[in-house]
Amino acid sequence: MIETALNIKDLHFSYTESASRKKMRTQSFFNWGGLLSAVVEDTKKEVLSGVNLRLRQGETICIGGASGQGKSVFLRIIAGLAKPTSGYIHYFGEHLPIEQHTALEVAKRQVGLVFQNGALISNLKVRDNVALPLRYHGIGNEAEIQEKVNMALDLMRVRSEADLFPHMLSTGMQKRVAIARSWAMDPKLLLMDEPTSGLDNYNRRNLLPLIDNMRKLFKTSIIIVTHDLLIAKELGCSIMFLQNKKLTTPHPFDYWLTSEESIAQELFRDLQDRC
Amino acid sequence: MKQNDVYKKLTFPGGALHLLGVFFLSTTMGQQFTLFFKAVASIFSGKKNFKADTKNIINQVFFTGIEIFPVLFIVATLFGTVIIVEVITMMNKVGFSDVVGNLMVIVIIRELGPIFTAFLIAGRSGSALTTYIGSMAINSEVDALATMGVDPVRYLVMPALVGGVFAVLIMTILFSFSGICAGFLTTKLLIYFAGDMLNVQITWTYLSSAIMQSLTMTDFVLAIVKPVVFACIIITNASYQGLAIRKDVRQVPKATSRSVIYSFLYIVIADVLLSSFYIFQYLGELSKII
Repeated sequence: MIETALNIKDLHFSYTESASRKKMRTQSFFNWGGLLSAVVEDTKKEVLSGVNLRLRQGETICIGGASGQGKSVFLRIIAGLAKPTSGYIHYFGEHLPIEQHTALEVAKRQVGLVFQNGALISNLKVRDNVALPLRYHGIGNEAEIQEKVNMALDLMRVRSEADLFPHMLSTGMQKRVAIARSWAMDPKLLLMDEPTSGLDNYNRRNLLPLIDNMRKLFKTSIIIVTHDLLIAKELGCSIMFLQNKKLTTPHPFDYWLTSEESIAQELFRDLQDRC
Repeated sequence: MKQNDVYKKLTFPGGALHLLGVFFLSTTMGQQFTLFFKAVASIFSGKKNFKADTKNIINQVFFTGIEIFPVLFIVATLFGTVIIVEVITMMNKVGFSDVVGNLMVIVIIRELGPIFTAFLIAGRSGSALTTYIGSMAINSEVDALATMGVDPVRYLVMPALVGGVFAVLIMTILFSFSGICAGFLTTKLLIYFAGDMLNVQITWTYLSSAIMQSLTMTDFVLAIVKPVVFACIIITNASYQGLAIRKDVRQVPKATSRSVIYSFLYIVIADVLLSSFYIFQYLGELSKII
Protein backbone atom coordinates (compact mmCIF):
# COMPACT_ATOMS: atom_id res chain seq x y z
CA MET A 1 0.00 0.00 0.00
CA ILE A 2 1.37 3.38 -0.97
CA GLU A 3 1.14 5.80 1.92
CA THR A 4 -0.02 9.35 1.47
CA ALA A 5 2.52 12.05 2.18
CA LEU A 6 0.12 14.94 2.34
CA ASN A 7 -3.63 14.99 2.54
CA ILE A 8 -5.47 18.31 2.51
CA LYS A 9 -9.21 18.40 2.93
CA ASP A 10 -11.46 21.41 2.48
CA LEU A 11 -8.81 24.05 3.15
CA HIS A 12 -9.91 27.66 3.48
CA PHE A 13 -7.64 30.64 3.79
CA SER A 14 -8.38 34.33 3.83
CA TYR A 15 -6.20 37.35 4.45
CA THR A 16 -6.87 39.53 7.46
CA GLU A 17 -3.71 41.43 6.57
CA SER A 18 -5.48 44.79 6.64
CA ALA A 19 -6.52 44.19 10.25
CA SER A 20 -3.02 43.34 11.36
CA ARG A 21 -1.60 46.31 9.47
CA LYS A 22 -3.95 48.62 11.33
CA LYS A 23 -2.91 46.93 14.54
CA MET A 24 0.73 47.63 13.76
CA ARG A 25 0.03 51.31 13.18
CA THR A 26 -1.85 51.83 16.42
CA GLN A 27 0.71 49.85 18.38
CA SER A 28 1.12 51.67 21.65
CA PHE A 29 2.00 50.98 25.24
CA PHE A 30 -1.24 49.09 25.79
CA ASN A 31 -2.78 48.03 22.54
CA TRP A 32 -6.37 49.16 22.95
CA GLY A 33 -6.78 49.02 19.18
CA GLY A 34 -6.32 45.25 19.41
CA LEU A 35 -9.58 44.94 21.32
CA LEU A 36 -11.44 46.96 18.71
CA SER A 37 -10.08 45.12 15.71
CA ALA A 38 -11.02 41.83 17.38
CA VAL A 39 -14.62 42.98 17.56
CA VAL A 40 -14.84 44.77 14.23
CA GLU A 41 -13.72 42.17 11.70
CA ASP A 42 -11.98 43.75 8.76
CA THR A 43 -12.97 43.03 5.21
CA LYS A 44 -11.50 39.64 4.46
CA LYS A 45 -9.95 38.70 1.16
CA GLU A 46 -10.56 35.04 0.56
CA VAL A 47 -7.68 33.40 -1.28
CA LEU A 48 -8.35 29.69 -1.00
CA SER A 49 -11.76 28.13 -0.59
CA GLY A 50 -12.23 24.40 -0.26
CA VAL A 51 -8.91 23.16 -1.59
CA ASN A 52 -8.37 19.40 -1.63
CA LEU A 53 -5.07 17.69 -2.35
CA ARG A 54 -3.80 14.17 -1.94
CA LEU A 55 -0.12 13.45 -2.50
CA ARG A 56 1.33 9.95 -2.34
CA GLN A 57 4.81 9.29 -1.03
CA GLY A 58 7.41 9.64 -3.76
CA GLU A 59 5.02 11.50 -6.00
CA THR A 60 5.85 14.78 -7.67
CA ILE A 61 3.21 17.31 -8.51
CA CYS A 62 3.32 20.68 -10.24
CA ILE A 63 0.96 23.48 -9.30
CA GLY A 64 0.41 26.12 -11.94
CA GLY A 65 -1.94 28.98 -12.47
CA ALA A 66 -1.98 32.61 -13.33
CA SER A 67 -0.03 34.85 -10.98
CA GLY A 68 -1.96 36.24 -8.03
CA GLN A 69 -4.05 33.12 -7.58
CA GLY A 70 -2.42 32.27 -4.25
CA LYS A 71 0.02 29.56 -5.29
CA SER A 72 2.79 30.81 -3.04
CA VAL A 73 0.36 31.29 -0.16
CA PHE A 74 -0.79 27.72 -0.60
CA LEU A 75 2.84 26.58 -0.32
CA ARG A 76 3.36 28.77 2.74
CA ILE A 77 0.32 27.17 4.37
CA ILE A 78 1.68 23.68 3.74
CA ALA A 79 5.05 24.78 5.19
CA GLY A 80 3.29 26.17 8.26
CA LEU A 81 4.20 29.82 7.68
CA ALA A 82 0.55 30.84 7.32
CA LYS A 83 -2.37 29.53 9.33
CA PRO A 84 -5.37 28.27 7.35
CA THR A 85 -8.75 29.64 8.39
CA SER A 86 -10.25 26.18 8.43
CA GLY A 87 -9.62 22.73 7.01
CA TYR A 88 -7.74 19.54 7.73
CA ILE A 89 -4.11 18.87 6.87
CA HIS A 90 -2.55 15.44 7.38
CA TYR A 91 1.22 15.07 7.11
CA PHE A 92 2.21 11.45 6.50
CA GLY A 93 -1.12 10.26 7.84
CA GLU A 94 -0.89 12.38 11.00
CA HIS A 95 -3.43 15.13 11.53
CA LEU A 96 -2.04 18.52 12.56
CA PRO A 97 -4.71 20.72 14.19
CA ILE A 98 -4.88 24.35 13.12
CA GLU A 99 -3.96 25.59 16.61
CA GLN A 100 -0.62 23.79 16.34
CA HIS A 101 -0.07 24.74 12.72
CA THR A 102 3.29 26.49 13.00
CA ALA A 103 6.40 26.24 10.84
CA LEU A 104 8.38 24.58 13.62
CA GLU A 105 5.76 21.85 14.09
CA VAL A 106 5.61 21.23 10.35
CA ALA A 107 9.42 21.19 10.08
CA LYS A 108 9.51 18.44 12.74
CA ARG A 109 7.65 16.28 10.21
CA GLN A 110 10.54 16.67 7.75
CA VAL A 111 8.94 19.12 5.38
CA GLY A 112 11.36 21.45 3.58
CA LEU A 113 10.63 24.63 1.67
CA VAL A 114 12.80 26.27 -0.98
CA PHE A 115 11.96 29.97 -1.11
CA GLN A 116 11.55 31.86 -4.34
CA ASN A 117 14.47 34.18 -3.48
CA GLY A 118 16.50 31.49 -1.74
CA ALA A 119 16.28 33.24 1.65
CA LEU A 120 19.86 32.41 2.61
CA ILE A 121 21.11 33.78 5.92
CA SER A 122 23.11 36.75 4.67
CA ASN A 123 25.73 36.90 7.42
CA LEU A 124 26.77 33.27 7.01
CA LYS A 125 28.98 31.81 4.29
CA VAL A 126 27.42 29.37 1.84
CA ARG A 127 28.99 26.43 3.66
CA ASP A 128 27.65 27.55 7.05
CA ASN A 129 24.24 28.24 5.53
CA VAL A 130 23.95 24.62 4.46
CA ALA A 131 25.42 23.39 7.73
CA LEU A 132 23.23 25.59 9.96
CA PRO A 133 20.18 23.30 10.34
CA LEU A 134 22.41 20.23 10.64
CA ARG A 135 24.41 21.83 13.44
CA TYR A 136 21.29 23.13 15.16
CA HIS A 137 19.65 19.71 15.22
CA GLY A 138 22.95 18.03 16.10
CA ILE A 139 22.84 15.59 13.17
CA GLY A 140 26.22 13.87 13.33
CA ASN A 141 29.57 15.27 14.42
CA GLU A 142 31.43 18.07 12.66
CA ALA A 143 33.21 15.76 10.18
CA GLU A 144 29.94 14.11 9.18
CA ILE A 145 28.27 17.49 8.78
CA GLN A 146 31.11 18.75 6.57
CA GLU A 147 30.86 15.61 4.45
CA LYS A 148 27.14 16.05 4.05
CA VAL A 149 27.55 19.76 3.23
CA ASN A 150 30.18 18.99 0.58
CA MET A 151 27.93 16.35 -0.91
CA ALA A 152 24.99 18.76 -1.10
CA LEU A 153 27.17 21.50 -2.61
CA ASP A 154 28.61 19.06 -5.15
CA LEU A 155 25.15 17.94 -6.17
CA MET A 156 24.09 21.51 -6.89
CA ARG A 157 27.53 22.40 -8.41
CA VAL A 158 28.22 25.24 -5.99
CA ARG A 159 31.19 23.68 -4.15
CA SER A 160 33.61 26.27 -5.57
CA GLU A 161 31.49 29.05 -4.06
CA ALA A 162 31.37 27.42 -0.62
CA ASP A 163 33.39 30.14 1.10
CA LEU A 164 31.56 33.12 -0.37
CA PHE A 165 28.78 35.10 1.24
CA PRO A 166 25.28 34.91 -0.30
CA HIS A 167 25.36 38.49 -1.59
CA MET A 168 28.34 37.62 -3.79
CA LEU A 169 26.30 35.00 -5.64
CA SER A 170 23.86 35.45 -8.48
CA THR A 171 20.15 34.77 -7.95
CA GLY A 172 20.37 31.43 -9.69
CA MET A 173 23.30 30.33 -7.57
CA GLN A 174 21.53 31.45 -4.40
CA LYS A 175 18.61 29.29 -5.42
CA ARG A 176 20.88 26.31 -5.98
CA VAL A 177 22.41 26.80 -2.54
CA ALA A 178 18.91 27.00 -1.06
CA ILE A 179 18.00 23.72 -2.72
CA ALA A 180 21.23 22.18 -1.41
CA ARG A 181 20.35 23.40 2.08
CA SER A 182 16.93 21.78 1.90
CA TRP A 183 18.35 18.59 0.44
CA ALA A 184 20.91 18.27 3.25
CA MET A 185 18.07 17.98 5.76
CA ASP A 186 16.75 14.80 4.06
CA PRO A 187 13.19 16.08 3.71
CA LYS A 188 10.38 13.60 3.15
CA LEU A 189 8.26 16.30 1.56
CA LEU A 190 9.93 19.10 -0.36
CA LEU A 191 8.08 22.24 -1.39
CA MET A 192 9.64 24.35 -4.12
CA ASP A 193 8.57 27.83 -5.06
CA GLU A 194 9.62 28.57 -8.65
CA PRO A 195 12.78 26.43 -8.61
CA THR A 196 13.70 27.17 -12.22
CA SER A 197 13.13 30.90 -12.46
CA GLY A 198 16.45 32.70 -12.70
CA LEU A 199 18.29 29.56 -13.76
CA ASP A 200 19.95 29.34 -17.14
CA ASN A 201 19.06 26.50 -19.46
CA TYR A 202 22.19 24.53 -18.58
CA ASN A 203 21.49 24.57 -14.83
CA ARG A 204 17.81 24.03 -15.35
CA ARG A 205 18.60 20.87 -17.27
CA ASN A 206 20.91 19.80 -14.43
CA LEU A 207 18.36 20.54 -11.77
CA LEU A 208 15.55 18.48 -13.22
CA PRO A 209 17.35 15.11 -13.11
CA LEU A 210 18.31 15.93 -9.54
CA ILE A 211 14.70 16.41 -8.57
CA ASP A 212 13.90 13.18 -10.36
CA ASN A 213 16.69 11.38 -8.50
CA MET A 214 15.45 12.64 -5.16
CA ARG A 215 12.09 11.15 -5.93
CA LYS A 216 13.50 7.83 -7.09
CA LEU A 217 16.30 7.32 -4.55
CA PHE A 218 14.98 8.94 -1.40
CA LYS A 219 11.22 8.59 -2.02
CA THR A 220 10.85 12.33 -1.48
CA SER A 221 7.45 13.74 -2.30
CA ILE A 222 7.78 17.03 -4.10
CA ILE A 223 5.36 19.87 -4.75
CA ILE A 224 6.59 22.39 -7.30
CA VAL A 225 4.87 25.72 -7.76
CA THR A 226 5.91 27.03 -11.13
CA HIS A 227 5.10 28.98 -14.24
CA ASP A 228 7.51 26.80 -16.19
CA LEU A 229 5.01 24.08 -17.13
CA LEU A 230 7.50 22.21 -19.29
CA ILE A 231 9.04 20.91 -16.04
CA ALA A 232 6.02 18.67 -15.66
CA LYS A 233 6.58 17.20 -19.09
CA GLU A 234 10.25 16.58 -18.40
CA LEU A 235 9.62 15.08 -14.95
CA GLY A 236 6.60 13.15 -16.17
CA CYS A 237 4.44 14.37 -13.32
CA SER A 238 0.91 15.68 -13.20
CA ILE A 239 -0.12 19.30 -13.13
CA MET A 240 -2.82 20.93 -11.03
CA PHE A 241 -4.04 24.46 -11.50
CA LEU A 242 -5.12 26.87 -8.84
CA GLN A 243 -8.15 28.55 -10.31
CA ASN A 244 -11.07 30.36 -8.72
CA LYS A 245 -9.70 29.63 -5.21
CA LYS A 246 -9.77 25.88 -5.88
CA LEU A 247 -7.35 23.24 -7.14
CA THR A 248 -8.29 21.39 -10.30
CA THR A 249 -7.89 17.63 -10.54
CA PRO A 250 -4.36 16.51 -11.45
CA HIS A 251 -3.72 15.48 -15.03
CA PRO A 252 -0.54 14.81 -17.00
CA PHE A 253 0.98 17.45 -19.25
CA ASP A 254 -0.35 15.94 -22.47
CA TYR A 255 -3.92 15.88 -21.20
CA TRP A 256 -3.84 19.61 -20.49
CA LEU A 257 -2.21 20.29 -23.85
CA THR A 258 -5.24 19.04 -25.71
CA SER A 259 -7.81 19.96 -23.08
CA GLU A 260 -10.75 22.17 -23.83
CA GLU A 261 -10.85 23.76 -20.36
CA SER A 262 -10.40 27.50 -20.24
CA ILE A 263 -7.36 27.47 -17.92
CA ALA A 264 -5.57 25.04 -20.24
CA GLN A 265 -6.49 27.16 -23.23
CA GLU A 266 -5.05 30.23 -21.57
CA LEU A 267 -1.80 28.81 -20.25
CA PHE A 268 -0.96 26.31 -22.95
CA ARG A 269 -1.65 28.47 -25.96
CA ASP A 270 1.97 29.18 -26.82
CA LEU A 271 3.15 25.76 -25.63
CA GLN A 272 0.81 24.09 -28.10
CA ASP A 273 2.75 25.62 -30.95
CA ARG A 274 6.08 24.52 -29.52
CA CYS A 275 5.18 20.94 -28.62
CA MET B 1 -13.60 24.17 18.54
CA LYS B 2 -11.68 22.74 21.48
CA GLN B 3 -10.86 26.14 22.90
CA ASN B 4 -14.53 27.10 22.90
CA ASP B 5 -15.37 23.95 24.86
CA VAL B 6 -12.83 24.82 27.53
CA TYR B 7 -14.26 28.31 27.72
CA LYS B 8 -17.80 27.04 28.24
CA LYS B 9 -16.76 24.83 31.16
CA LEU B 10 -15.38 27.76 33.15
CA THR B 11 -17.40 29.48 35.87
CA PHE B 12 -18.09 33.21 35.56
CA PRO B 13 -15.00 34.48 37.46
CA GLY B 14 -12.91 31.90 35.67
CA GLY B 15 -14.25 33.02 32.31
CA ALA B 16 -13.59 36.66 33.17
CA LEU B 17 -10.01 35.86 34.15
CA HIS B 18 -9.62 33.79 30.98
CA LEU B 19 -10.79 36.73 28.87
CA LEU B 20 -8.49 39.09 30.77
CA GLY B 21 -5.56 36.75 30.17
CA VAL B 22 -6.36 36.42 26.47
CA PHE B 23 -6.62 40.19 26.25
CA PHE B 24 -3.33 40.75 28.06
CA LEU B 25 -1.54 38.29 25.79
CA SER B 26 -2.89 40.13 22.74
CA THR B 27 -1.38 43.43 23.89
CA THR B 28 2.15 44.44 22.94
CA MET B 29 3.28 44.05 26.52
CA GLY B 30 1.79 40.59 26.84
CA GLN B 31 3.48 39.50 23.65
CA GLN B 32 6.79 40.86 24.88
CA PHE B 33 6.44 38.89 28.11
CA THR B 34 5.64 35.80 26.04
CA LEU B 35 8.73 36.36 23.89
CA PHE B 36 10.91 36.81 26.97
CA PHE B 37 9.70 33.61 28.63
CA LYS B 38 9.96 31.70 25.34
CA ALA B 39 13.58 32.85 25.03
CA VAL B 40 14.33 31.81 28.61
CA ALA B 41 12.61 28.46 28.10
CA SER B 42 14.51 27.84 24.87
CA ILE B 43 17.81 27.82 26.81
CA PHE B 44 16.78 24.47 28.22
CA SER B 45 14.86 23.03 25.26
CA GLY B 46 15.79 21.00 22.24
CA LYS B 47 19.12 19.63 21.22
CA LYS B 48 21.80 21.40 23.17
CA ASN B 49 24.74 22.47 21.08
CA PHE B 50 26.85 23.93 23.84
CA LYS B 51 29.79 24.95 21.65
CA ALA B 52 27.76 26.88 19.07
CA ASP B 53 25.62 28.52 21.78
CA THR B 54 28.67 29.68 23.73
CA LYS B 55 30.23 31.07 20.55
CA ASN B 56 27.04 32.97 19.73
CA ILE B 57 26.74 34.32 23.27
CA ILE B 58 30.38 35.46 23.42
CA ASN B 59 29.91 37.20 20.06
CA GLN B 60 26.88 38.95 21.50
CA VAL B 61 28.76 40.03 24.62
CA PHE B 62 31.47 41.53 22.43
CA PHE B 63 28.94 43.22 20.18
CA THR B 64 26.67 44.50 22.95
CA GLY B 65 29.26 45.39 25.52
CA ILE B 66 32.91 45.49 24.68
CA GLU B 67 32.59 47.52 21.48
CA ILE B 68 30.74 50.28 23.33
CA PHE B 69 33.35 50.48 26.09
CA PRO B 70 35.37 53.51 24.81
CA VAL B 71 32.26 55.74 24.66
CA LEU B 72 31.00 54.38 27.94
CA PHE B 73 34.38 54.98 29.60
CA ILE B 74 34.51 58.63 28.49
CA VAL B 75 30.90 59.27 29.54
CA ALA B 76 31.50 57.63 32.92
CA THR B 77 34.75 59.51 33.56
CA LEU B 78 33.34 62.93 32.70
CA PHE B 79 30.14 62.37 34.67
CA GLY B 80 32.15 61.03 37.59
CA THR B 81 34.31 64.17 37.53
CA VAL B 82 31.34 66.52 37.40
CA ILE B 83 29.58 64.72 40.24
CA ILE B 84 32.67 64.56 42.45
CA VAL B 85 33.44 68.25 41.97
CA GLU B 86 29.82 69.37 42.41
CA VAL B 87 29.12 67.15 45.42
CA ILE B 88 32.28 68.06 47.28
CA THR B 89 32.06 71.82 46.71
CA MET B 90 28.34 71.89 47.49
CA MET B 91 28.46 69.72 50.57
CA ASN B 92 31.40 71.63 52.01
CA LYS B 93 29.48 74.88 51.51
CA VAL B 94 26.38 73.67 53.36
CA GLY B 95 28.42 71.83 55.94
CA PHE B 96 27.34 68.26 55.17
CA SER B 97 30.75 66.93 54.19
CA ASP B 98 30.01 63.59 55.94
CA VAL B 99 27.31 62.62 53.40
CA VAL B 100 29.67 62.83 50.41
CA GLY B 101 30.04 59.05 50.34
CA ASN B 102 26.29 58.52 50.57
CA LEU B 103 25.64 60.90 47.71
CA MET B 104 28.29 59.30 45.51
CA VAL B 105 26.79 55.85 46.12
CA ILE B 106 23.26 57.04 45.41
CA VAL B 107 24.08 59.03 42.31
CA ILE B 108 26.70 56.87 40.62
CA ILE B 109 26.24 53.30 41.85
CA ARG B 110 22.49 53.21 42.43
CA GLU B 111 21.07 55.44 39.72
CA LEU B 112 23.37 56.88 37.09
CA GLY B 113 25.52 53.80 36.46
CA PRO B 114 22.74 51.33 35.63
CA ILE B 115 20.53 53.88 33.84
CA PHE B 116 23.25 55.44 31.70
CA THR B 117 24.68 52.07 30.73
CA ALA B 118 21.22 50.80 29.85
CA PHE B 119 20.47 53.91 27.79
CA LEU B 120 23.77 53.69 25.90
CA ILE B 121 23.27 49.99 25.18
CA ALA B 122 19.60 50.47 24.22
CA GLY B 123 20.59 53.24 21.84
CA ARG B 124 23.39 51.35 20.22
CA SER B 125 22.91 47.59 20.58
CA GLY B 126 19.12 47.56 20.98
CA SER B 127 18.59 49.52 17.79
CA ALA B 128 21.18 47.39 15.99
CA LEU B 129 19.41 44.21 17.07
CA THR B 130 16.04 45.51 15.84
CA THR B 131 17.47 46.40 12.43
CA TYR B 132 19.28 43.07 12.20
CA ILE B 133 16.25 40.94 13.04
CA GLY B 134 13.91 43.23 11.09
CA SER B 135 16.01 42.96 7.92
CA MET B 136 16.10 39.20 8.34
CA ALA B 137 12.31 39.15 8.68
CA ILE B 138 11.91 41.20 5.51
CA ASN B 139 14.23 38.97 3.47
CA SER B 140 12.14 36.02 4.78
CA GLU B 141 15.26 34.67 6.48
CA VAL B 142 13.33 34.27 9.73
CA ASP B 143 10.71 32.23 7.85
CA ALA B 144 13.50 30.19 6.28
CA LEU B 145 14.93 29.44 9.72
CA ALA B 146 11.52 28.28 10.93
CA THR B 147 10.95 26.01 7.94
CA MET B 148 14.31 24.37 8.60
CA GLY B 149 13.11 23.61 12.12
CA VAL B 150 15.49 26.20 13.59
CA ASP B 151 13.53 28.10 16.23
CA PRO B 152 14.11 31.83 15.50
CA VAL B 153 13.60 32.62 19.20
CA ARG B 154 16.32 30.20 20.17
CA TYR B 155 18.65 31.05 17.30
CA LEU B 156 18.29 34.84 17.35
CA VAL B 157 16.77 36.02 20.63
CA MET B 158 18.25 33.63 23.19
CA PRO B 159 21.98 34.34 22.50
CA ALA B 160 21.24 38.07 22.39
CA LEU B 161 19.39 37.84 25.70
CA VAL B 162 22.04 35.86 27.56
CA GLY B 163 24.89 37.85 26.00
CA GLY B 164 23.04 41.10 26.67
CA VAL B 165 22.56 40.28 30.35
CA PHE B 166 26.26 39.54 30.79
CA ALA B 167 27.31 42.58 28.78
CA VAL B 168 25.05 45.06 30.59
CA LEU B 169 26.09 43.63 33.95
CA ILE B 170 29.79 43.95 33.17
CA MET B 171 29.36 47.38 31.61
CA THR B 172 27.37 48.70 34.59
CA ILE B 173 30.08 47.60 36.99
CA LEU B 174 32.74 49.13 34.74
CA PHE B 175 30.69 52.34 34.49
CA SER B 176 30.44 52.78 38.25
CA PHE B 177 34.07 51.79 38.71
CA SER B 178 35.46 54.14 36.08
CA GLY B 179 33.02 56.85 37.13
CA ILE B 180 34.53 56.86 40.59
CA CYS B 181 38.19 55.98 39.90
CA ALA B 182 38.79 57.80 36.61
CA GLY B 183 36.52 60.59 37.83
CA PHE B 184 38.74 60.98 40.88
CA LEU B 185 41.88 61.05 38.71
CA THR B 186 40.37 63.68 36.40
CA THR B 187 39.35 65.76 39.40
CA LYS B 188 42.94 65.59 40.66
CA LEU B 189 44.10 66.68 37.22
CA LEU B 190 41.67 69.59 37.31
CA ILE B 191 42.89 70.58 40.77
CA TYR B 192 46.49 70.38 39.53
CA PHE B 193 45.77 72.77 36.66
CA ALA B 194 43.20 75.06 38.28
CA GLY B 195 44.87 75.24 41.68
CA ASP B 196 42.95 77.16 44.32
CA MET B 197 40.34 78.34 41.90
CA LEU B 198 38.35 75.12 42.30
CA ASN B 199 38.54 75.16 46.12
CA VAL B 200 38.27 71.37 46.37
CA GLN B 201 40.28 69.30 48.80
CA ILE B 202 40.13 65.59 48.05
CA THR B 203 42.23 62.51 48.70
CA TRP B 204 41.67 58.93 47.55
CA THR B 205 41.58 57.64 51.12
CA TYR B 206 38.86 60.12 52.03
CA LEU B 207 36.72 59.36 48.96
CA SER B 208 37.13 55.57 49.03
CA SER B 209 36.53 55.22 52.76
CA ALA B 210 33.45 57.47 52.57
CA ILE B 211 32.04 55.36 49.74
CA MET B 212 32.90 52.03 51.35
CA GLN B 213 31.22 53.11 54.60
CA SER B 214 27.97 54.03 52.95
CA LEU B 215 27.73 50.93 50.71
CA THR B 216 25.10 48.50 51.99
CA MET B 217 24.16 44.96 51.04
CA THR B 218 21.12 46.30 49.19
CA ASP B 219 23.38 48.30 46.92
CA PHE B 220 25.30 45.20 45.93
CA VAL B 221 22.12 43.20 45.31
CA LEU B 222 20.48 45.98 43.30
CA ALA B 223 23.73 46.61 41.41
CA ILE B 224 23.26 43.11 40.02
CA VAL B 225 19.44 43.03 39.77
CA LYS B 226 19.06 46.35 37.98
CA PRO B 227 21.38 45.67 35.03
CA VAL B 228 19.89 42.20 34.59
CA VAL B 229 16.34 43.59 34.50
CA PHE B 230 17.37 46.41 32.15
CA ALA B 231 19.17 44.01 29.82
CA CYS B 232 16.10 41.75 29.65
CA ILE B 233 13.94 44.78 28.84
CA ILE B 234 16.27 46.11 26.13
CA ILE B 235 16.85 42.81 24.35
CA THR B 236 13.25 41.57 24.59
CA ASN B 237 11.85 44.85 23.36
CA ALA B 238 14.40 45.14 20.54
CA SER B 239 13.85 41.56 19.36
CA TYR B 240 10.08 41.88 19.61
CA GLN B 241 10.04 45.05 17.50
CA GLY B 242 12.28 43.35 14.94
CA LEU B 243 10.25 40.14 14.74
CA ALA B 244 6.95 42.03 14.50
CA ILE B 245 7.92 43.65 11.18
CA ARG B 246 5.78 42.44 8.31
CA LYS B 247 7.38 42.56 4.84
CA ASP B 248 7.50 46.31 4.57
CA VAL B 249 10.84 48.09 4.37
CA ARG B 250 9.37 51.30 5.77
CA GLN B 251 8.62 49.48 9.01
CA VAL B 252 12.33 48.97 9.82
CA PRO B 253 13.19 52.58 10.79
CA LYS B 254 9.86 52.89 12.60
CA ALA B 255 10.49 49.71 14.53
CA THR B 256 14.02 50.83 15.38
CA SER B 257 12.90 54.13 16.83
CA ARG B 258 10.07 52.35 18.70
CA SER B 259 12.62 49.91 20.05
CA VAL B 260 14.85 52.67 21.46
CA ILE B 261 12.09 54.92 22.80
CA TYR B 262 10.10 52.15 24.47
CA SER B 263 13.30 50.70 25.91
CA PHE B 264 13.98 54.10 27.54
CA LEU B 265 10.42 54.23 28.85
CA TYR B 266 10.40 50.69 30.22
CA ILE B 267 13.86 51.17 31.78
CA VAL B 268 12.79 54.29 33.68
CA ILE B 269 9.57 52.59 34.87
CA ALA B 270 11.51 49.51 35.99
CA ASP B 271 14.06 51.75 37.71
CA VAL B 272 11.33 53.51 39.69
CA LEU B 273 9.80 50.16 40.67
CA LEU B 274 13.17 48.81 41.79
CA SER B 275 14.07 52.02 43.62
CA SER B 276 10.84 51.80 45.62
CA PHE B 277 12.70 49.09 47.51
CA TYR B 278 14.82 51.85 49.05
CA ILE B 279 11.73 53.82 49.96
CA PHE B 280 10.45 50.85 51.97
CA GLN B 281 13.85 50.62 53.60
CA TYR B 282 13.73 54.29 54.60
CA LEU B 283 10.21 53.85 55.96
CA GLY B 284 11.47 50.94 58.07
CA GLU B 285 14.31 53.06 59.42
CA LEU B 286 11.89 55.92 60.08
CA SER B 287 9.67 53.71 62.25
CA LYS B 288 12.76 52.64 64.20
CA ILE B 289 13.58 56.26 65.05
CA ILE B 290 10.01 57.03 66.09
